[in-house]
Amino acid sequence: MKGTLRSALLPVWNVLCMLLAPLDRALQPIANVYNRTLGGHFGEMNGLQFAVISLGFAAIATVPFWSPFYSETLNITFAVASIWAIFAMSWDIQSGYTGYISFGHSVLSGAAGYTIGLLILHYDPSMGPATTIPVAVLASLVLGLVIAVPSLRLRGPYFSLITLVGVLLFTNLIFAFSGWTNGELGIHQVDPFTYEPWVRYYYMAIPMLLVALGLIYISRSNVGMVLVTIRENERAVSSAGLDPTKFKISSFVLSSIPMGIGGALLVYYGRAINPTSFVEISNSIEIIAIAVIGGMGSVVGPLFGSFLFFFLEEEFLRDVIGDSSLRTLVLWLFVLSVLVFARNGVFRVIWHGLGAVRGDSE
Amino acid sequence: MTLLEVDHLTKHFGGLVAVDDLSFSVDEGEIVGLIGPNGSGKTTVFNCIMSTYIASEGEIRFDGEDVTSEKTHGVVNHGLSRVSQESNPINLLSVGGNIKLFMLPNSFLACALPDAVLARRSDGGPGVVDHAERVGLEDKIEETPDSLPHADVRRLEIAKALATDPDMLLLDEPFAGMNQAEIRTLSEQIEQFREDGISMVVVDHNMRGLMQLVDRVVVISSGQKLAEGPPEEIVENQDVQDAYLAGEHGGI
Amino acid sequence: MLSGLPAVLINAALISALYALIAIGFTMIFGVGGVLNLAHGALLMAGAYVYLLLARDTISVPVFESMTLHPLLAFPLAVVIVAVLSYLLYAVIVQFVEDNPVVTFLATIVVALAATEVVLHYAGSATHTYTLIPDGMLPSTIDIGPVDGILTVDVVGFVVSWISIGLLWVYVTKTDSGRAIRATSMTERGAQLTGVNVHAVRARTWLVAGALAGIGGVFLGASTSATPNMWLHPLSLAFIIVVIGGIGSIKGSIVAAYLIGFLQTGVGEYLGQNFRGILSLVLLVIVLFVLPQGLFGREFDHE
Repeated sequence: MKGTLRSALLPVWNVLCMLLAPLDRALQPIANVYNRTLGGHFGEMNGLQFAVISLGFAAIATVPFWSPFYSETLNITFAVASIWAIFAMSWDIQSGYTGYISFGHSVLSGAAGYTIGLLILHYDPSMGPATTIPVAVLASLVLGLVIAVPSLRLRGPYFSLITLVGVLLFTNLIFAFSGWTNGELGIHQVDPFTYEPWVRYYYMAIPMLLVALGLIYISRSNVGMVLVTIRENERAVSSAGLDPTKFKISSFVLSSIPMGIGGALLVYYGRAINPTSFVEISNSIEIIAIAVIGGMGSVVGPLFGSFLFFFLEEEFLRDVIGDSSLRTLVLWLFVLSVLVFARNGVFRVIWHGLGAVRGDSE
Repeated sequence: MTLLEVDHLTKHFGGLVAVDDLSFSVDEGEIVGLIGPNGSGKTTVFNCIMSTYIASEGEIRFDGEDVTSEKTHGVVNHGLSRVSQESNPINLLSVGGNIKLFMLPNSFLACALPDAVLARRSDGGPGVVDHAERVGLEDKIEETPDSLPHADVRRLEIAKALATDPDMLLLDEPFAGMNQAEIRTLSEQIEQFREDGISMVVVDHNMRGLMQLVDRVVVISSGQKLAEGPPEEIVENQDVQDAYLAGEHGGI
Repeated sequence: MLSGLPAVLINAALISALYALIAIGFTMIFGVGGVLNLAHGALLMAGAYVYLLLARDTISVPVFESMTLHPLLAFPLAVVIVAVLSYLLYAVIVQFVEDNPVVTFLATIVVALAATEVVLHYAGSATHTYTLIPDGMLPSTIDIGPVDGILTVDVVGFVVSWISIGLLWVYVTKTDSGRAIRATSMTERGAQLTGVNVHAVRARTWLVAGALAGIGGVFLGASTSATPNMWLHPLSLAFIIVVIGGIGSIKGSIVAAYLIGFLQTGVGEYLGQNFRGILSLVLLVIVLFVLPQGLFGREFDHE
């Protein structure tokens, strides 16, 4: 089935290559400047790849200026996409790279969210983000450590199971202590960063880009290499004199830092903390889905996946189908088809396509 | 000076005794052959030394320290490295990447540092290219392991083991699947490793390739030590010949 | 309202029977293919909603509109439909991704989410309740010894649960096709070498597991209610039970179902309903660390 699809698309691909190859060659000198300076740290690219990344970056950096031409809500959609991009990238550096799939990442952002909420509700309502956010990130870091140390001694599926249990436990605890947490209703006493939508976008997008830069650097460093090897052949890591458990735990703890940042942003974005939008298992699954459609194990893929996911959900499908459950159904079917037909993710398909343009023409 | 001491090592899987009260030792600078018919427990001995399996009884000491209950990575960091019978390179990484993985420090933070900083830390110690050169892979650093011929994949396995900077190498059937020319080159390289100060234990199921190479041979059969001595002596040993004739693989 | 120790014990026994039904299909699918089917809860949900569709006119779906079959007809029909849905899930999606456990994980959970949306679309977010016992056939509550006011549907569920378990036992021990399932779950290679068509066995397992999930789902919906999110709780229950019992072991699942059922009912009665879930999760964590292969399982390690 896949084979026939491929042969049917081959002529289209060839024409595309013919058109794009000169463009790629024209852009190569600019890409080379990058390759020589930063390429070693963030990965080398050819002309087209460099152009697409630069354009994507420019587009993200200028969303408030061009989004009104598409729709009034795009601004908000992409602000949310930025937060979830942080989540998906954080998940990816741990689960996507090591192959130890965590179903529990929503607990980490939830810890940050509830830390802020509880501080404001029970300690000092006037506390600003400058004090609450560091505490919140520390809280997810500590929780990350608490989850990682015992659970990462377990093998693959058992680890996933334990993280799933973590989510269920956390959710149950929120309800069990609803006197403190307001249970289902959640905590609503949070003031946002700002009410100005375009400024708010940058409050979400700038941390997202910084997190992306940091995680791309890590994934391209030797750490990324070790984590990938854990996924491919854990025994090889041991034979190399490296402690796989230590690296797995470190990657989980590392990923809990940006999870905390994202959770804090989500609090100040939505002005509320409740189990539904923070902790419940569906949040973890959404994080995973985003990472998967973008492409696990690439960091940039999940970033792309988040913008794609929210654009489809909140803009494109909303326009086409309207605000019904059918929209979400179509979205999940899309995720499912990516899983079955392009399990390496949409971003990788595009990226490798761009990389191969010139190879075919020369 | 004794480097590796295997002291009354026993390993059983359920009721099956794979290694039975085996003791031997390897001196610094020595190359010892560990031979025995198929299924005699040679690889299990290696697995116990490298803590792939947990020894049921007995003790393994390396450089005077007890490494019996160390984790695999700990044993490696003590200076022991093993080249397994099966090759398992990571095909997502280049040959150079595979070697580099084995040179990394066992520290998450240090691994996050740029390579330039790491290189400066190691004070001009051997790099990826140097390790590749020791086995003759220097021209194939950029290639991926799945594009290499069998003998080169085997060389890569040795380069990886060397990259951990070991004091002792455990070689499990290093000559398997190689032709005469390749065996000769590899034997010369192994000699060179010894010149470089690496002691070795070489496992093989026959002695053909080992005669010239090893200083001493330990023969095991059904997990027990059958004989020990210089290769010339072992070839003449009646017990050893009987053990081989009893097995499928006649002749030593 | 029930109270006192006898009531707690009877209640626990009834709910445990339901838990066993919920968990067995899940463990069977893991046993033969190494697949953790996260859409298992969705199959249970399908049982409840398909029954609603067939026996009640509260949901309106094209073709099935205002269909009201007699429960004795609707129940087996619902079970068959869920079994077929389960088979289709395997044939259309899972068999193409099962080589990669991570993708299988994700694909099945996405199926569960998609199922939620299907239910939302056709049945809305409302809570649907229904009775399984036809009017006038049996009283709606009965008394057992000193305890009165026990829902008849729960008792019927208990009986049906044990009948199903009995039939399953006969199937996997006395018939060739059932024995092939058991053999494959013990050692897939071994089964293959003795001429078992592993692929067909997997498909058949999904069919049987689906039927069990269908039965469980209909009774689950009847004893509580049918909602679009009803799949999550039983899925986590199935997880807990199966891990404690030993992944892949049917016997273990039944024992663990009763263990958890009694634990939850006891905790709910004496510590408060909010702690019902927490304690079994804590027990699960302890089991995972102390006895990872569970009570009756063998450790699984798919490398």
